[in-house]
Amino acid sequence: MTEQKYKFLSTPRRPVEDRRFVAGRGKFIADLDRPNMLHVAPLASHYAAAVINGIDASAALAMPGVVDVITGAELAAAVQPLMNGLNTPNVRRFPLAVDRVRYAGEWVCAVVAESRALAEDALEKIIVDATPQPFILDAEAALLDTSAPVHPEHGSNLLLDRKFVWGPVDDDFDAAAHSLSFSVTWGRNSTVPIETFGVLAEWNGWDQMLDIWASIQMPKYADQIARSLDLPGNAIRVHYDVDVGGSYGVKRGIKHSVLVGYIARKLGCSVRLIEDRLENMRAGDAHGPERKFDITIAFDQDGTVRSMKMRALDNAGAYAGRAPFQLGKPISAIVGPYQINSVAYHALSVTTNKTVQEAVRGFGQAPTNYAIETAMDRVAEYLGMDRLALRQKNLIRKDQFPYLIPSGSYYDSGDYHAVVDKVLTAADYPAMLAERDRLRDAGMMAGIGIAACLEPSGGNSSFEPLLNQSNQTSTWMESCQVNIDALGKVTARIHTTSSGQGHETLVSTVLGEVMQIDPELIRITRPNSLESLPGNSPVGSRMAIMLGGAAARAGEKLKAKIMAIAAHRLGVAIDELRYEGGDVLANDGRRLAWDEMVELAHRQYHNLPDGMDPGLASFDIMQVPTGDALPVDDKVQMYPCYSFEFHLLLVSFDPIIGRPDIHSYFIGHDCGTVINPAIVSGMTYGGIAHGIGAALFEEFAYDTNGQLLTQSFLDYLMPSSHEVPAIQIVKHCTPSPHTVFGQKGSGESGYLGAPAAVSGAINDAVSGLGIHFEKLPIRMSAISDAIAAKTS
Amino acid sequence: MKPVRFDYKRPATIDEACGLLASDDNARILAGGQSLIPMLSMRLSRPSLLIDIAHIPELTAFGETETHIEIGAMVRQAVAQKSEFVKTHIPLLAKALGYVGHPPTRARGTVGGSVAHADPSAEIALVAATLGAEITYRVDGADEIFDASDFFIGPMLTIAPPTGCLTRLSFVKAPAVCGTGFHEVAPRKSDYALASAAAQINFAAGSGVTSIHLGIGSVGDFPERLDVDQLCGTPLDDSAIADAVHAAMQMVETVEDLHATAAYRKRVATELAIRALRDARGEISKDLNQ
Repeated sequence: MTEQKYKFLSTPRRPVEDRRFVAGRGKFIADLDRPNMLHVAPLASHYAAAVINGIDASAALAMPGVVDVITGAELAAAVQPLMNGLNTPNVRRFPLAVDRVRYAGEWVCAVVAESRALAEDALEKIIVDATPQPFILDAEAALLDTSAPVHPEHGSNLLLDRKFVWGPVDDDFDAAAHSLSFSVTWGRNSTVPIETFGVLAEWNGWDQMLDIWASIQMPKYADQIARSLDLPGNAIRVHYDVDVGGSYGVKRGIKHSVLVGYIARKLGCSVRLIEDRLENMRAGDAHGPERKFDITIAFDQDGTVRSMKMRALDNAGAYAGRAPFQLGKPISAIVGPYQINSVAYHALSVTTNKTVQEAVRGFGQAPTNYAIETAMDRVAEYLGMDRLALRQKNLIRKDQFPYLIPSGSYYDSGDYHAVVDKVLTAADYPAMLAERDRLRDAGMMAGIGIAACLEPSGGNSSFEPLLNQSNQTSTWMESCQVNIDALGKVTARIHTTSSGQGHETLVSTVLGEVMQIDPELIRITRPNSLESLPGNSPVGSRMAIMLGGAAARAGEKLKAKIMAIAAHRLGVAIDELRYEGGDVLANDGRRLAWDEMVELAHRQYHNLPDGMDPGLASFDIMQVPTGDALPVDDKVQMYPCYSFEFHLLLVSFDPIIGRPDIHSYFIGHDCGTVINPAIVSGMTYGGIAHGIGAALFEEFAYDTNGQLLTQSFLDYLMPSSHEVPAIQIVKHCTPSPHTVFGQKGSGESGYLGAPAAVSGAINDAVSGLGIHFEKLPIRMSAISDAIAAKTS
Repeated sequence: MKPVRFDYKRPATIDEACGLLASDDNARILAGGQSLIPMLSMRLSRPSLLIDIAHIPELTAFGETETHIEIGAMVRQAVAQKSEFVKTHIPLLAKALGYVGHPPTRARGTVGGSVAHADPSAEIALVAATLGAEITYRVDGADEIFDASDFFIGPMLTIAPPTGCLTRLSFVKAPAVCGTGFHEVAPRKSDYALASAAAQINFAAGSGVTSIHLGIGSVGDFPERLDVDQLCGTPLDDSAIADAVHAAMQMVETVEDLHATAAYRKRVATELAIRALRDARGEISKDLNQ
């Protein structure tokens, strides 16, 4: 096994961060207090669409403790529109609505007051004169010429309309014996963090400096604030030494930060905005993809799947946000783990009068996996073939890696059949089938869910130039700095916030492994953005690969310097030395201890090799492996690494009650070399819980008036510990050839396949009745109603 | 999510609480706060005065007469759940209390607070309505008693006097031989139920089944007692139970929301009512078959 060659990597070590979190000693935005800090509360639109005729804030401004009321008109005159990455100059977005509101909950203006409670009191005194307008909620309807555009200046609701054809789709369809078509819809849901988004901004006029503390997980955060506020990049100082209470994509916070940045600068003060749950759910960056798939799939009688046509229509909400690009990431794994020869992909993103869609765990991959896995189930059903056998027939074989998929990405490595076999053994699949049949005989509905899928990882941004040719970005780096002080202790700096990923554990473990010193003795710090090297923050399941890679490479540079110092000191060639546990040993038996080399580097310049700089410090700025090129002919290598997961579960429910009970849940997981087993398992458990939510419970649902029905945890239901079963993780390791230790990504694991697997299990349970559930979440009421309609 | 500014008072006696209630048209009583506090935070409830009755000793006591068990309005749900009084004499309530919220909310939430709040899916209110409990309010220095079977008239709406303070619930002691059943269905454990049903069959040696109580909750605007008296003389077999429940459910109107259709609520309430009655029958099957 590969694991055995490591001293600290892949060993069960307690994450460093756990200590402060378990003890309640984390430092979050709400823990920060600045002198004379002011507070902000935004006023939310009641209308799904309206023209703003005027805002009368005089009564609010007259209240004690109220400092200011900021309107969209004031803000738009002072700041640049927020970036969206598309060529849609007339889809302009500001933190506050300007002239027109486009979704219920959109911020119309913001009160600045001495306390949040006073600000909320003042909100009630603001009179907004607004004229309601027609609105649109459905994505298909938004496409019609007869539908009024959400942004009249833009001329239509289309944000993105790209058609790709990869490989001989028409030929493959002609050659295939069969084809079938179906539609499935992924409901609008999210990752819901425990901590809502918060930001604190403070302007110091004498320094001309805007200090920001924010609960972020956001690439290029400081740059975007600077651009929007028309400030030099080095006048924004983002403090990364705050804890972030959960994210998985949704802690973007640009609009909040531009708003409080503007207020701080205008008033010369400290000002803080922390969303309450209502604001988070209806107007934060909380909403993920809402996507309808129309799929036609071509296959042979023996189950060989030849080709697929996929139309994906995404409901972006009222502004561009990150929604369109979430149609881009799935291109990197558009055939899933299967040998599908050709694909036609039509990606559509439209504006509607719903809350703006932002990034959510997997960046659009989980919905696409749900569509692909539903296709596999449908083909098996059509052919009367076993669903498992169909998948095994089409899975890419171990000997085919690196495997080039039609859309231009090579899958790096894997042994999918081996993982499937391990899971079938661990789950005792024949016994699981027997248990399903026993439950059915007892009058229950019972089904087995199967899903195989990939986690593209390494966090490149090549979907941006792929979907928007004017975007020439190929760089997507991460960085790490390492210093050994004069007393011989190691400190590493990371240049981002963390929202639970365990980056301190990651970097200390990797550096410990490279330097062969105890990770417990390595200190990790987070400087502010002005003291940081460039990076792109933890997105796209990338930090094990990118931050782990940069830390390892920085460590190797230090080791090389240590070896050069030792060679010079001992008067031998470097290849006559070996590095062992921090010391350097010569072939002749002489040894230079760590402390001696530290002494040489820090105090004995006269004993260093000629021209060598003193001290022991290094840094590394690492580009994404395989991220060498821009797209050519609509194809590009998108991600360096592809983790594999295989889900298998048994569900049953009473036909009248319809409440799914998950009896057993197995997942086979191969994310290459594991750095910290507890962190990877934690990600996977949480991902499956999240996926169960997407499949059964979670939806940001709207009524016919465009009002969000699920504005709190009363109606936005997330699975609790009662609904998440015990999960068995079956581990497998196929190292990636592209990374320093063979590691791949795991931050999205579990979530990418669980919705498909749970949906598959419920559909298997009702398959005898000819029922197909074609929309997530599948509510218990819908299950019972569908069965009643078939059996009454 | 900050409440509107309000005054807070903590009276020591029921009469002091009633006086405060009379002093302010916009006063509300705080009796555990597991529903009211979130409503305050969302500004759905905007009282000018909050009267916390947690420190009135007589409201936290149990009482017993020859025929009845009395539960003080401020008895915490968790305390009632563990009470031997309740287990012995109000077994249906004992069963239902396990479905009320979660352990942390039961530690704060009170029996009286739940009844006064009148959420359509409240389990305690359902049991009270099903068993025809007596609900006592102190109004203008005197006690006024309401029958729980017709106390609830809409979502969060009762016939309670606006200036009254709920002081206790009184349940008839269950007979020595009695069977009970309680079922509810919710998307997740302890969510607001989509349908719930409570049943109690009272039995007396010599006379057989003396009365059958059945109620459903969570499906309409308030918990409802269903008339299944027709079952009393029957052998209580499955088909008799199903017929009686279907007949009783015909009049019931159910509501629809995001989480469940009206048809679902009706179908499931019917099924749960049948299951509750069967459970109750099962508990006294030995006596029934003698």
